[in-house]
Amino acid sequence: MKRGFIGWDPRQLPRAALEARLEELQRTLAGLGVHALVAFSDVWRSNDVRYLSNYMPYWNRALTVIPRGEKPILLCALSPRVYPWIRSVTLHETILPSPQLIAQLVRLCAERGWSRVGVLDQEGLPYDLYRQLVAEKLDIVDVPRHRVRPQPTASEITMHRHAARLARAVLESEITALAVGRTDRELTGRLERALRRAGAEDLFVWVSAGHTPPVPACGTVVDAYSSVTLALEYCGHWVKLSRNVAGMTSPLPPDRSATVHLETLSRACGWEGIGETDDGGNGAVISLQVEIPADGKRLYYGDTCVREGGGVEIL
Amino acid sequence: MLNPSRRQQYLDLMAERGWDLLLFYGDGWRKDLFRCLVNVNFSGPQALALLSRGGEVRALVTDPWDVDPVGAAIGDKPVLCLRLADGLRTVLAAERHARVAINGLEQMEARFVRAVQEATAAVPVSATQDIEEIRRVKTAEEIEWIRQAARLADRGYEHFVKVCEPGMTEFELVAEVESFVKAHGAEDNFMLVASGGTEVTGMKPPTARRFQPGDCVTTELTPQINGYYAQICRTLVIGEPSAAQLQAFSIFAAAQQAAQTFLRPGVDISDVARVQNDVFRAHGYGEYTGPQYTRVRGHNLGLYPDELPHVLENVHYICKQDMVLIAHPNTYLPLSGYMVFGDTLLVTAEGCVPLNDTPRRLFHS
Repeated sequence: MKRGFIGWDPRQLPRAALEARLEELQRTLAGLGVHALVAFSDVWRSNDVRYLSNYMPYWNRALTVIPRGEKPILLCALSPRVYPWIRSVTLHETILPSPQLIAQLVRLCAERGWSRVGVLDQEGLPYDLYRQLVAEKLDIVDVPRHRVRPQPTASEITMHRHAARLARAVLESEITALAVGRTDRELTGRLERALRRAGAEDLFVWVSAGHTPPVPACGTVVDAYSSVTLALEYCGHWVKLSRNVAGMTSPLPPDRSATVHLETLSRACGWEGIGETDDGGNGAVISLQVEIPADGKRLYYGDTCVREGGGVEIL
Repeated sequence: MLNPSRRQQYLDLMAERGWDLLLFYGDGWRKDLFRCLVNVNFSGPQALALLSRGGEVRALVTDPWDVDPVGAAIGDKPVLCLRLADGLRTVLAAERHARVAINGLEQMEARFVRAVQEATAAVPVSATQDIEEIRRVKTAEEIEWIRQAARLADRGYEHFVKVCEPGMTEFELVAEVESFVKAHGAEDNFMLVASGGTEVTGMKPPTARRFQPGDCVTTELTPQINGYYAQICRTLVIGEPSAAQLQAFSIFAAAQQAAQTFLRPGVDISDVARVQNDVFRAHGYGEYTGPQYTRVRGHNLGLYPDELPHVLENVHYICKQDMVLIAHPNTYLPLSGYMVFGDTLLVTAEGCVPLNDTPRRLFHS
């Protein structure tokens, strides 16, 4: 769960970079002829709104509303007692308490005289909200994600790169021969400590003992065939990478015979599996984790990359 | 990892409701909606289990690394589909006109519900509330997992007290505690904190604020063992507590004790909130028991750290034996700022017992 350091350092992510995204979005909204765009978020599906306003839902659901020509408005069920903190880490100045998200949205539309509203990936809404929304007398326009979040911007790539460097440095310092004999839980604890102290917002760790894919720690003792995969979220930017105690590596991308676990880190969720032909545009941020056969065991190695031409750039 | 007693309860429910197929949909936030049948901590964006009236369990996973663990749990290889909607269309192709209910329908993306609807030619119904009701009363095995989680919460808080010191930031403290509970077996841990004085009105994720002498450092610490969460809420003062902080704590302790003394099978959860709030009212702080200053006076615990029912005066639910909940009268008081105090409680035949054994006092560094 997202319980790490959720902050906003304008030196890393300048306000101007966020505002440039909104300016671009304003042009899209004008082209679509909608009065506002609505984007959903929850603890797991947070990437879209993080892109738009830097809002990070540490708990509960929310709707981020971007009106034409106005700053984003947040509708959320969190207590007004945490609004000062939300304002300190986002672009949001207006936050409306919204125990019933769609009812509050409808009220807002009525107050502003909005009749035509865009919804980011409408079919990605949770079903209860979707049903409530389509029952309302609003002209809803489904806005596909690529219209709102085209390929990652330079500022996003910079943040992914920073996150990847951080994760790689910690993982490579921990996944060495010195890890042998520790339990996977102890190893997970060490990674948690180092990465959360370095500012990780969220962290998942999976460990393979060489005979299964990486799984959450279960008390297994780390040995020479162990591999560790981690997913790290840093300021809303996910990276995934794998290293193994044996120090085996693989070219990225690997040759066609390799077993590869390919995911995009550029959609609503933290990560989503993709096929070789999916999401193939230049600039997409992807996770490439490779299974390496060795002595009848499976080792894992991988990194976070940006697709470039026919290849990838490792971040 | 497949919960057989729960499966039988779900089958009984299906028979009662006339459902042919019961789906359990979980995503990265609400894994509990899947794990209440197939208790696997899956890695992919979504996972879905299908229970047929004959008791057969199948599964769809969206991450290749989930195939082995989910397959081991259900005794059958799950269907791997990178897009869940595609997988649903495939596995439900043979279920035309089946009466389908979904645990987690509300959380499910609309495109997935559409896939179910198109494949079966019928609108699925929600099973979420029925399943929630079943899940509220824990099995003996589930209680044992929660006991373990409560013991880890105690050890985690002990570590919290040990490492918390002036000058440390909130997020550094959380990193230390997170590391400790993970190293000692927690799958996950829900944790909020706050620090400061009377200006503090609630908890949130940790910030870069550094602890100062006189601060109240509050936390709710919620480790998860084998899917099941237990929680502890405590307050620590940096340095010697002030008279006002001690006075505030005595009110919180009395309120929590009132809930613990009152809680037993047959009581209305509304009254569990009321007896806590009455303590505040008796001390002249009744206004601080409302939504402006506090969220809930406790909640149920299980595979989700904030299960229903919430402990609130306007929520009515008759408590049952073997429910597990936390009573925490956490709120703002002008004496101390936001303060927290609470233990995980198991409802027994005669009353309730706390599963935490951390001393019930205002800690200080």
